[in-house]
Amino acid sequence: MEKASVVVIGGGVTGIGILRDLCMRGVDALLIEQRDLAHGTSSRFHGLLHSGGRYAVKDAEAAKECIEENSILRRIGKHCVEATEGFFVRTVDDDAQFERKWVAACHKVGIPAAEVSPSEALRLEPNLSSRIKAIYRVPDAAIDGFRLVWQNAASAQKYGGRIKTYCEVLGIEHSNGKISGVKIRNVLTGETENIECDSIVSAAGSWAGKIAALAGINVHVQPDRGTLVAFNHRITSRVINRLRPAGDGDIFVPHGSITILGTTSSPAEQPDDTVPSTEEVLKMLDIGEALFDDLKDYRILRAFTGTRPLYSADPNATGRGASRNFVILDHSNDGLSGFFSIVGGKLTTFRLMAEKMTDAVCKYLKINAACRTALEPLIEDPPPELITKARSYFPAYGTNLAASRLGTSGLERVVKRMQDHPETRQLLCECENVTIAEMIEAASDSFTYSLSDVRRKTRIGMGTCQSAFCTYRSVGEASELGFAQDSTTLFKEILEERWKGIRPVLWGNAIREAELMRGIYGGSLNIQ
Amino acid sequence: MTSRNILKPSPIPSLSVGIGLGDKWGDKIMRKSDIVVIGSGLAGLVAASTAAGQGKKVTLLAQGAGTLTIAGGIIDILGCLGDGSPANNPIAAIPRLAQEHPYRKIGVETVEEAINYFLKICQEEGYPQIGSCNQIQWIPTAAGTLKPTCIVPRTMDISSLEKTTNRIIVGFKYLKDFYPRLIAQNLAAMPGYGGNYEIVTITPPFGGRDLSNLDIARWLETDEGLKEFAVQLSQKVKRGSLLIMPPVLGTSPDYRILNWLKKNLECYLLETVTIPPAITGLRLRSLLINHVKKLGVKVIEQAVVTGSVIENGRCLAVVTESADRQRSYYAKSFILATGGIYGGGLIANSDQVIEPIFNLPVKTPLERDNWTNQTLFSNREQPFAKIGIAVDQRMRPIDETGTTILSNVCIAGRTLAGYDYCFEKSGNGVAVSSGYKAAMSV
Repeated sequence: MEKASVVVIGGGVTGIGILRDLCMRGVDALLIEQRDLAHGTSSRFHGLLHSGGRYAVKDAEAAKECIEENSILRRIGKHCVEATEGFFVRTVDDDAQFERKWVAACHKVGIPAAEVSPSEALRLEPNLSSRIKAIYRVPDAAIDGFRLVWQNAASAQKYGGRIKTYCEVLGIEHSNGKISGVKIRNVLTGETENIECDSIVSAAGSWAGKIAALAGINVHVQPDRGTLVAFNHRITSRVINRLRPAGDGDIFVPHGSITILGTTSSPAEQPDDTVPSTEEVLKMLDIGEALFDDLKDYRILRAFTGTRPLYSADPNATGRGASRNFVILDHSNDGLSGFFSIVGGKLTTFRLMAEKMTDAVCKYLKINAACRTALEPLIEDPPPELITKARSYFPAYGTNLAASRLGTSGLERVVKRMQDHPETRQLLCECENVTIAEMIEAASDSFTYSLSDVRRKTRIGMGTCQSAFCTYRSVGEASELGFAQDSTTLFKEILEERWKGIRPVLWGNAIREAELMRGIYGGSLNIQ
Repeated sequence: MTSRNILKPSPIPSLSVGIGLGDKWGDKIMRKSDIVVIGSGLAGLVAASTAAGQGKKVTLLAQGAGTLTIAGGIIDILGCLGDGSPANNPIAAIPRLAQEHPYRKIGVETVEEAINYFLKICQEEGYPQIGSCNQIQWIPTAAGTLKPTCIVPRTMDISSLEKTTNRIIVGFKYLKDFYPRLIAQNLAAMPGYGGNYEIVTITPPFGGRDLSNLDIARWLETDEGLKEFAVQLSQKVKRGSLLIMPPVLGTSPDYRILNWLKKNLECYLLETVTIPPAITGLRLRSLLINHVKKLGVKVIEQAVVTGSVIENGRCLAVVTESADRQRSYYAKSFILATGGIYGGGLIANSDQVIEPIFNLPVKTPLERDNWTNQTLFSNREQPFAKIGIAVDQRMRPIDETGTTILSNVCIAGRTLAGYDYCFEKSGNGVAVSSGYKAAMSV
């Protein structure tokens, strides 16, 4: 029987952060994820590394945590972070009273917020509406949730961390009021397995209530839907927040060549209630127009939905009324020692959450070791010689993208492959600059079980064409690589996932792209 | 300073003023045709050719290449009905289509006439086609699937399947968008295509970068390229083999390369349907452009039509706009073949779908939630795919009460309402037959 000192449940950024922390402190830990890493909320948010400005007025403590973690993540996770800075923008329609409160709150918490004149703001961000009244610069940044999770995973593995993906938890085993193990099932093979352990940490986010229920414990997590829209433009070079009490559709975050607008907030029936609706999108566009006049003319790539794991001791609190702070629940209070849940929180503070959680687990296991996660980078920088060598095969822009995606050892293998096999230099995905060599690398990764896993790791099909061209290529390449699934299944796996995001935004160029996609796969290739 | 005043640019005239200017410059006479066709995709080209063949003076306003390079140069007529049941004989199946379907407006006889007319043009231009509108052919695609179509060029002659069991997939090193193993695996399981497929890879003397079908086709158009290709192939394949390959047998609408290779290799060749750019579509486009020019059609390239001049339910002129001026093109009749949502003939906004030239009513599902099926591959028609302009039996636009809106404007091609070409495999068939019908109706 496989054993671990600690089993962490949930392969989102919180769980993977805890795994890394435990392993860096020398604890033998294993992580269980029901799907692929970052499958849940960690990849379904706007990708904003908060400065804390958004929470400054309402929740000074959360704001303080944000600004501290923000500067740590810029240091240890620089390959996941694009240091864009951010604007808080008050329009003529917004309350000037709130602005004064906000400036005072930022000052108190220690968030640098420097005022910029409207004319200077328009010079820096020409797409902003001329109806802007007051603007402040804050150290917001863009962060790639997928990459953050994988690079934490890579770091954890370096310290001996084990990860099992596509495994769901069937049962929490205990005896004499103490945790003794966990029963899991591999969702791909159907095989079940028991793992012996001394402690279990549930970092299952929106699914935390379901995990706790397996041990007969009540944890009230209300999944809250947040829908986001990805535009095919960098509408703005900076994160733009509306300077008003936090509401829907008031954050714009640039990522690479796209911009994400978010979010909505409404109670979700299920943790995986992630189908966005046209109504949600239109509502956000209406609100977003206050900051960007021509918003409705920009091409939308897709919409997507995640669920926030809102925790409340009070089962009646919902939406933005519920706290965004995190809570550590020691279930010895419920009569089960060694079982912990970590609920609530936000991506920006995941490392701090992991630190506090790991402190609690170590205390339970009587391990005395200090947290080092803020000191060491997630991955090492690829050496300059390697980057120079990579440039002979990649387009210049692609080199840096691939280096950040792959890390040093991955990039080394990819460059070697391109050197030895010139045909693998071919670009499968022009939008995201993904070569055959990189697809082979992602396909041979130990966490890759499907073409969708490859897609998430490489970003194939996430760009402008929204998979219209690269779906055929990745399925073709999958058959060259000997993937087990038949090609019709693979085609559908990718295209149906895209369809989910395109359906709610079926107008403008998105509907044209949908017609092209149908023309190629339905009309020409007759996939059914 | 008088000369200065003359040089001063005049303001862009409004539509009504445009007529006056035309008179003044004498352009009105120059730009007066019997028929103006807007759009140079397959529907527009067939319409222009048909009308010119009837002795009409035709002007073709072309903005781009249409979707011929997307869909490919083969004519799908009807692969299945709305309920998914197969249409082995497309012509016989047409009466079972919904009343709103373009084929029902065009009529069975006219569809047959149109397809025969298309076959005749191809024959005349030295690029004869295989097939008829009475019989589905299942042709191989670059995904190794089969798709139902009707008319194909000789480079896609599947009758050779019966002549040999020695089947080879020919791939090219560095070539993008052609995966021999995928094709071999899938084809082997297809009815009529079973058996073993060997894979042969040709190495072009260039590369180190991504190559497209177009690069290979242009290589084979050179004498050295063709010879090199034949030499490499003859070392790897036996005589009498069937060579299944991407559509690379030249970019022009003739069989020079096909015939030379058949003769010198003593093999059968079969091109597959691929993802864009479809070389077969390029060939067909260049054939039709040559043909309409021969018939005296005046082709105006880069003509962006932005509006029309309407009087008493008739169109007098359409207006094109470029950076510095507007122009009006007058005619007795007009054929609108500007494509659907993809082609730009219809513009879908979040609240409505518009047709920008004549501002015609666009037939659209009422509720947005009803535009789509939950899954992309839902085994039925996608409601939004049927969005378009509804027409009467003479292809003229009608309103929701069925009343004809413009008496001298006909609609052809993807702009038409009432059919999901992807699902039923009818795209180019509707284009050819509605283009033909529109030209016969005006």
